[in-house]
Amino acid sequence: MHPQHWLYTIPLRLRSLFRRRRVEGELNEELQFHLGQKIAEGIANGLSPQEARYAAMRAMDGLEQRKEQVRDVWRIHWLTDFVDDARFATRSLSRTSGLTAFVVITLALGIGMTSGTFSMVDALIFRPYPVPHPSGVVTLVSTTHDSSFDNFSYREFLDIRDKTKSYDGVIANADMEAVGFSAEPAATPRIRGGMLVSANYFHVLGVEPQLGRGFRDDEDQVPGRDAVAVLGPDFWKREFASDQSVLGKTIRLNGTEFTVIGVAPETFPGMLIFGHPDFYMPLAMARVFSTDRQKNFFEDRDDRELNVKARLKPGTTLEQAQNELAVLTKNFESEYPKVNRNRGASVHTQFEMRTRADDVNWKFGVIFVTLALAVLLVACTNVAGLLLSRARSRTREIAVRLAIGAGRFRLIRMLLTESLILASLGGLAGIAIGYGVVEWFHSFQNVIFMTELPLSIPFQMDTRVLLASLALAALSALLCGLAPALQSTRADLVNGLKSADVDVPGRKRLWGRNVLVVAQVSTSLMLLTASFLMVRGFQHGLRDGTGFAKDHLLMTTFDPRLVQYDAAQTQRFYKLLAERVREAPGVQSEALTQNIPLGTDDFDGVAFVPDGFQMPDDRENFSSTMDTVDEGYFETMGIPILRGRSFRASDTAEASRVAVVNQQFANHYWPRADAVGKHIRLDSRVGTLVEIVGVAQTIKYQGGTEKPMDFVYMPLAQHPIARMTLMLRSNGDPLQLIQPVKDVLRTLDPNLPMLHTMAYDDYYLNQAVKGPEIAMKLVGSMGVVGLLLAIAGLYGLVAYNVSRRTREIGIRMALGAAGSDVLRLVMGKGLVLVGVGTVLGLVMGFGVEHLMNSMLFNAGGVDILAYIIVVPSLFLVTMLAAYVPARRASRIAPTQALRYE
Amino acid sequence: MYLTLGNRGEHLSKPSDLVQGTLDLLLLKILALQPMNGWAISLRLKSISGDVLQVSEGSLYPALHKLEQEGWITAEWKQTENNRRAKFYSLTRLGRQHLEKEAANWSRLSAAISYVVRLEEA
Repeated sequence: MHPQHWLYTIPLRLRSLFRRRRVEGELNEELQFHLGQKIAEGIANGLSPQEARYAAMRAMDGLEQRKEQVRDVWRIHWLTDFVDDARFATRSLSRTSGLTAFVVITLALGIGMTSGTFSMVDALIFRPYPVPHPSGVVTLVSTTHDSSFDNFSYREFLDIRDKTKSYDGVIANADMEAVGFSAEPAATPRIRGGMLVSANYFHVLGVEPQLGRGFRDDEDQVPGRDAVAVLGPDFWKREFASDQSVLGKTIRLNGTEFTVIGVAPETFPGMLIFGHPDFYMPLAMARVFSTDRQKNFFEDRDDRELNVKARLKPGTTLEQAQNELAVLTKNFESEYPKVNRNRGASVHTQFEMRTRADDVNWKFGVIFVTLALAVLLVACTNVAGLLLSRARSRTREIAVRLAIGAGRFRLIRMLLTESLILASLGGLAGIAIGYGVVEWFHSFQNVIFMTELPLSIPFQMDTRVLLASLALAALSALLCGLAPALQSTRADLVNGLKSADVDVPGRKRLWGRNVLVVAQVSTSLMLLTASFLMVRGFQHGLRDGTGFAKDHLLMTTFDPRLVQYDAAQTQRFYKLLAERVREAPGVQSEALTQNIPLGTDDFDGVAFVPDGFQMPDDRENFSSTMDTVDEGYFETMGIPILRGRSFRASDTAEASRVAVVNQQFANHYWPRADAVGKHIRLDSRVGTLVEIVGVAQTIKYQGGTEKPMDFVYMPLAQHPIARMTLMLRSNGDPLQLIQPVKDVLRTLDPNLPMLHTMAYDDYYLNQAVKGPEIAMKLVGSMGVVGLLLAIAGLYGLVAYNVSRRTREIGIRMALGAAGSDVLRLVMGKGLVLVGVGTVLGLVMGFGVEHLMNSMLFNAGGVDILAYIIVVPSLFLVTMLAAYVPARRASRIAPTQALRYE
Repeated sequence: MYLTLGNRGEHLSKPSDLVQGTLDLLLLKILALQPMNGWAISLRLKSISGDVLQVSEGSLYPALHKLEQEGWITAEWKQTENNRRAKFYSLTRLGRQHLEKEAANWSRLSAAISYVVRLEEA
């Protein structure tokens, strides 16, 4: 019978909701009719019209109550109540707009930071693999005796694949690597990201290519035979404009021809967190991509480069798989004792992998989430305090409502509606802030990932994060609003109506809030000071300059191992490159160097013993950072040679070994003598003898704010390195030199890619300037957030005090206190808190400065300017926060206060 | 002596559910005889029962609207004999089914109560 019921009832209910005025009018008319009939009956029975009316009204016992009863039947009260509450709440909130704004901002900050962090945590930990039934995909890892996770080798992978029964397919992939890619034979290769995978990769994961097919099993059997590739979806869109004819096309990867046989679907950007592979190749083609000449990828059981994943067979538990794997690795241990001794293996779900205690992502996530939740908690506490003070000032109104019959629950609902509105506003603003935070994360991409690999930061405000944030907003509304609502509706009617001084809260309760305010003030002071110091130190560093000429420089890196050169071929290549590039149009001078100054790569180190030195007992040698350069380096980089000479063409592999050191090194080891002509021995007292032929000016090597460090240069011809960066000084725009270099390169080897080609200026700007800038912004914004919270907290505290003591203030003023006296009275506590917070903040700030000095800057002593600026500003701002409610207090007319409106 | 149904009924000590259910039954039956408006219903009930059953306005209209919400009766605005506009209720097919069921229930219930009350005291 029920479904038919609905046909009638639903339209009726909806009508009651939406055509309310009409329905109300009808009800009124119906009851009026009834009344009219009753009056007529009364008159017919002999009563006068007046009496008849009275009788009828009495009989009907009040029209309004009848209407209410009918309305109850309509059962729309919950909705109309809510709308009424909402309207009332909006009105009363806009009356105290200052406090409302504070609350909304505070909530927004808390929710914004948390949702930004949610997006990060979601991407790093919770987002499932982009494949069907992702929960069935498990990861297998090789474990060493200290339980750290490691990859498997090719042979181990094959054994696992063939000898286990717990899985519906075992796949393997290598890490994504830099691959030289060109679509046309004549084009210079560019660096893209490629990933070697087993043939069953797509099939086992359940990924259907949107074009063409995945790999066949036979294509992964014979090393080097089947040069086929599957493209990633983004790459296909960008590089080939989604052209279907890409199927069957030949592309060059690291100089070798590959045929495109398929394109992965849009839904599968890859299994990595931080990047999307541009193309996939079968494991059998590993030789084309490996740069490690020592190991044989397919044979060496200790060449561990493969991540192994698998799909658990339905019905098999993780434990069963684990046991099976344990047996297998025991066999490995006995069969291959040399490489598999003390090695085990284990199986883990995606979640387990992502939440490993030693995983960097997990640690990052935990730290950020803790911070964000702390901010949210502080924000909520502040808001609760603000709402409490607000609730206090409405005791009378609430008491009246309670007295005329409002249920306590009804009143609590009304007050919570207020919190809900605040939470919605705060939540929306918070989500906007969250978007900002995610955008800000994205802005890191260029700084952190300065490579051509397709790396990106995957944090996004997707639906899950948005829902979580909204839920959080609602929850915080409940939290913040509940305490004030519960407290202020306590049925202490008599007191409330009498409006005597409301109960003095225990000292203990205020204590917590005092501590909170002090903590916020001191923390924000410390953060602001720290960021100020960083700015100052950074400016110092910039002012000192780098020591070399940054302008008009083009740089590009080569790694001939990518095209399978051996050592001799590599050296010949560099020699020819340098010769030919020197003659290219627009090139003023050329240089080859292993590492660029102020780069992201670490410099190599060199261990040596200065010849004739008496080494202390506990050391066998000293160490210094070093770089490998060619003859043109010092001139091209504009680094003056202070004494002696730089390298020459005559410093060949057969000649005696030479080196150039920097001034810092020379002063360090030969403070009173000329370093030129002295010798050092490499590695130990009896190592290779190297003569120092020149002293170069000390420059900045690793960071703009570093202390001067020892440095040694060695000539490329005597210290061969495979991966070198070419630096070219140009007469004009350095980017004009790219084409001439490409032309030269084509004459040498058209398959060799140019990596990281850019003007040094641009690189420096990104690295040395933007990086620290972001760090400073981070610390600075944390300080600002802390400050805003402190302001809100202080405002709330003082406002609370005011509302508590309104009557007292009124009495004082009636007895003759001036406005300024009241001001002092109310602000006094607030000032004390700010003072304590400032002192604490100063102490913490000193500590931070000390730390930073020892790590980064040369500047000794305390940077007074920072404190002179930050401390008074902070003080001023917090004072203002306390002043506003206090001023309102001082303006209270005594009569008003005593009436306690 | 008359019984009044509804919340003015201090003479009664029946649980309110039973009272409500009984009122529904009476209203449905009256409307089964003929569609009419609220005032007419209360008159009719009074006259048919010989002044025993009098519905207070406080119970009549909420009950009528509830019956309407449940889909057992439906309403229509029409002109009375005096050319005044009034809301006329009539029984629906569903309502007729419900009436039959409730009437049967009532017979059973009242028969049982009568039986117990008439038992000879020992």
